[in-house]
Amino acid sequence: MKKTLTIFLAIGFLCVSLGLAQAQKPSDLKFSPLKYDPPDPKAFRTLFANGLRGYIEEDHNLPLINVSAIVNFGGLYLSKDKQGLDSVMSGTMIRGGTKTKEGTAIEERIDFLGGSLNFMVGERTATLSLSVLSKDLDEGLGLFFDVLMNSEFREGPLNLTKVRLIQQLRQANEQPSGVLSREYEKLLYGEGPLTWQPTQKTYEGLTSADLKAIHAQYFFPKNIILTASGDFVKADLKAKIEKHIANWQNKNVKFPAFSKQFPQPEPGVYFIQMPINQGYINIGHLGLEDTNPDYFAVQVMNFILGGGSFSSRITMKVRSDEGLSYNQGSRFSYRWGFPGTFSGYVQTKSSTVGYAISLIENEFNRIRRESVLDAEMDTAINYYLESFPGSFETAQSRISTFANLEMTGRPMDYYKTYRDKISAVTKAKVQEVANKYILPDKLVVMIVGDWEPSNKGGEQWPGPLAKLGKVHRINLRDPLTGEEIK
Amino acid sequence: MKRTLIIFFTLLVLASLVVAAEIKLDVKEHMLPNGMKILMIPKPGVPRVVCHIYFKVGSINERPGITGLAHIHEHMMFKGTKMMGVTDSAKDAEIDRKIDELMDKVYREKYWKADGGDKVKLAQWQKEFEELVKSEKPYVIKDEMWNLYMKNGGTALNASTGNENTGYYVTLPANKIELQMLLESDRMLNAYFREFYSEKDVIMEERRLSENRPGYFFSEQVNAAFYAASPYHWDVIGWMDDLKKVTKADLLEFHNKYYVPNNCAAIYVGDFDPQNIVQMAEKYFGRVPKGPDVEPIRTYEPPQYGEKRMYGEGPAATSLQMMFHTPQAGHPDAAPLSVLASILGGGGGGFRGFEPGPKASLTAPSTIVGQRGGGFGGGGGTGRLNKILVQEKQLAVSASASSRGQWYVGAFQFSASPRLDKNVLPEDLEKEIWAEVEKIKKEGVTPEEIQKAKNRAEAMFIRSLGSTSGLAGSVGRAELNRGWRSILTDYEDLKKVTNEDIKRVTAKYFVKDNGLTAIYKRKMGR
Repeated sequence: MKKTLTIFLAIGFLCVSLGLAQAQKPSDLKFSPLKYDPPDPKAFRTLFANGLRGYIEEDHNLPLINVSAIVNFGGLYLSKDKQGLDSVMSGTMIRGGTKTKEGTAIEERIDFLGGSLNFMVGERTATLSLSVLSKDLDEGLGLFFDVLMNSEFREGPLNLTKVRLIQQLRQANEQPSGVLSREYEKLLYGEGPLTWQPTQKTYEGLTSADLKAIHAQYFFPKNIILTASGDFVKADLKAKIEKHIANWQNKNVKFPAFSKQFPQPEPGVYFIQMPINQGYINIGHLGLEDTNPDYFAVQVMNFILGGGSFSSRITMKVRSDEGLSYNQGSRFSYRWGFPGTFSGYVQTKSSTVGYAISLIENEFNRIRRESVLDAEMDTAINYYLESFPGSFETAQSRISTFANLEMTGRPMDYYKTYRDKISAVTKAKVQEVANKYILPDKLVVMIVGDWEPSNKGGEQWPGPLAKLGKVHRINLRDPLTGEEIK
Repeated sequence: MKRTLIIFFTLLVLASLVVAAEIKLDVKEHMLPNGMKILMIPKPGVPRVVCHIYFKVGSINERPGITGLAHIHEHMMFKGTKMMGVTDSAKDAEIDRKIDELMDKVYREKYWKADGGDKVKLAQWQKEFEELVKSEKPYVIKDEMWNLYMKNGGTALNASTGNENTGYYVTLPANKIELQMLLESDRMLNAYFREFYSEKDVIMEERRLSENRPGYFFSEQVNAAFYAASPYHWDVIGWMDDLKKVTKADLLEFHNKYYVPNNCAAIYVGDFDPQNIVQMAEKYFGRVPKGPDVEPIRTYEPPQYGEKRMYGEGPAATSLQMMFHTPQAGHPDAAPLSVLASILGGGGGGFRGFEPGPKASLTAPSTIVGQRGGGFGGGGGTGRLNKILVQEKQLAVSASASSRGQWYVGAFQFSASPRLDKNVLPEDLEKEIWAEVEKIKKEGVTPEEIQKAKNRAEAMFIRSLGSTSGLAGSVGRAELNRGWRSILTDYEDLKKVTNEDIKRVTAKYFVKDNGLTAIYKRKMGR
């Protein structure tokens, strides 16, 4: 007993002497300083003999290796009659086999090794990713470069992919959130390379020769950035990669040119009928590019407006105060080389569609009209500063972050200067960018929902929706044919 | 002094290094006197720490009438405490009490009377309610806890509820773990559920979001038909009727019963010194009094004694599902079933140390995916079903299998979508799958297929160790059921599976009287 007491007292004394008194409230807490410098991209950058660029980091924590090739090619580069080639290529790059191997044999082998090999085409980049145990590095690398350099897009797997994609097309008008984002973009960007959709006809018209031609055009060393992280010795890995790509020739590619002029849609309400019990809503217009010097101030402004979850005004008002929705807020989306979109968003039951929209528009106006509060600035800026190291948590995330920075042509000191740029944002600047990038006279309100109850509204906000602006009813297109559904 | 400290920690911190093959999972454990388990996985490097707390309570701890309550409670845990989210807690409590008394009258009138009650009376009370809510607003500091976490660099901030457990998540800078300990222990001790009625509205909107997903209603009914008796019968989100009628009193009873330190585990993964974590945990979580023991669920799923079939149509893709009752995780048959799912389904592997993921979250999740199932198996490129039905016979556009080893009951599921361009029916795929099952009952599978499943499981296990939040989730959840070491023993069990085991479990569980077949046909347009 006596001994226990002594130990107990000793612990108590220790706690006090080490400054471990229990805080009663958060303001009592004192945190030790924490210094963090982001890694320097130069430390990881490598150039291979034939101009292939790479970011490589050894990481011996686990017996694993991750390798990716990011290619400057995406669905955006396709002509209107080849729409869908990106999805077909995603499905057949590996499964379609190489000059010397059937696709099923490649998949079977990778699976047998417990590895993964995936390929995905995005808007402007295509990525082939390999993950294998480090003992399987040589075999994995062999399959990876064979697929990357010698993909063959055989007929059998190509046809199966096309059948699957055409069958998926039938569902394209059934998911309200999918319909909203597709039609919202179409309204803001107009008809063009950013919004063209595949149809049954474009899928059926795609041939193995089309895929090979695209592969030949864009898949060459200087058009690719490689990332590799994991349990290897950097010099050894580099030598192995050099060997694989020794005979890989560079090409000259001319990237398609794109207009950055988009038609200004008529402001007002755009309604898409679907017999569901909520309205899925976007309110906004085009936004800005992330290379814009105002980007940092816009981030802070949007955090306060509707990007900071429960710390943001739209969530507090629409969800916490009014209980109108589960998911709501505002966002600026960004895309490489083009202005992204700005949107307030919410999904709410049909009878409160108009009310929720009116509350979001009030918040748009308030952040333009009034200076934000010191406490709001404090939360937003500290969030970005304090959470900053999270972007560099794993070797894989570090190097892919840097590879993407280089691919999209942003400055390589982006992360080095990031915190200073966030810290420099002032309340006045927040109000300035709110006025510059939220434009009430250009707002379009798009709603996917059930017209009758949405238009009728409820007690807090009786309809009609025309109170929000001129109402346009949108007829969807048949996803198989691309023809408007009457 | 220094030495005393070292001895102190040697006694308290039981470092458990478990080695599976050459793979190490090093979890440090500490049990507080009140029964709360603290788990730690140090990962030096970037100065961030994943901080999760898991409570051993989920939708299976509900009953008809209060379905959805575990998830409502998870939302309400963000509505403040006696200290947080309020300027004057006495005045606030006074108004809150009046709101509850009024709403008790409203619920009795509205829900107890068959005709929906006196509309005039209800309208008057609604007005009184709105006045009271308005008068409470000056005392409420909105989402103060959330703001504090955000301001201090908290990311991956969320909470989620599953069938069996509920988790609260934040990732913080390494120097700010104490903030999490203070806030989390405060809400265990002093939770105060403001804005209950508007939050129920939020959750009904969350349910409507699910309802508007093509095929949701059918899938909810399939699940309910599959589990006749066990509390896996209802979805985590709960039935709409119960969401409307559940009361504040139900919530308090639920909180007091399940949110006790002896029914939870905290886990930390990242750049920290375990000694500091233990010290802080003693100080903050140590002050929460131990609660009564929590009884496990009573109702398991009884034998089915008859084939179940369901037919539906609507806006989702035409599909076939075949579900069979299997034993819970940890049962000797669970490992062969996982290996079989990996062989048939291909893309997902068979490592089942990872407990099924959450199903309903506080906010639309960005990092934590809440979806039905959390099974192991997959959509399957090289799986046997894909090879036969998609590639060779060209009858399906997809075919997969998965095995869910839940805490109390398991489920094995086959899923496939027929080729509409060739007029294949779901029933045709059903025959094909049965033919394959019967073949496996007789011949089993090939040694290569078994080896592939085992290799996949090994690689998946190693990969899981690389994700800080994934690791926190699997270790934390596993701890509440069969202890975190079950991750390793499950993995060891999987490596021992033989072809005879596969034949045995296929014959035992894949019989019509043990299953439900669901056939869904797409009806053009909504």
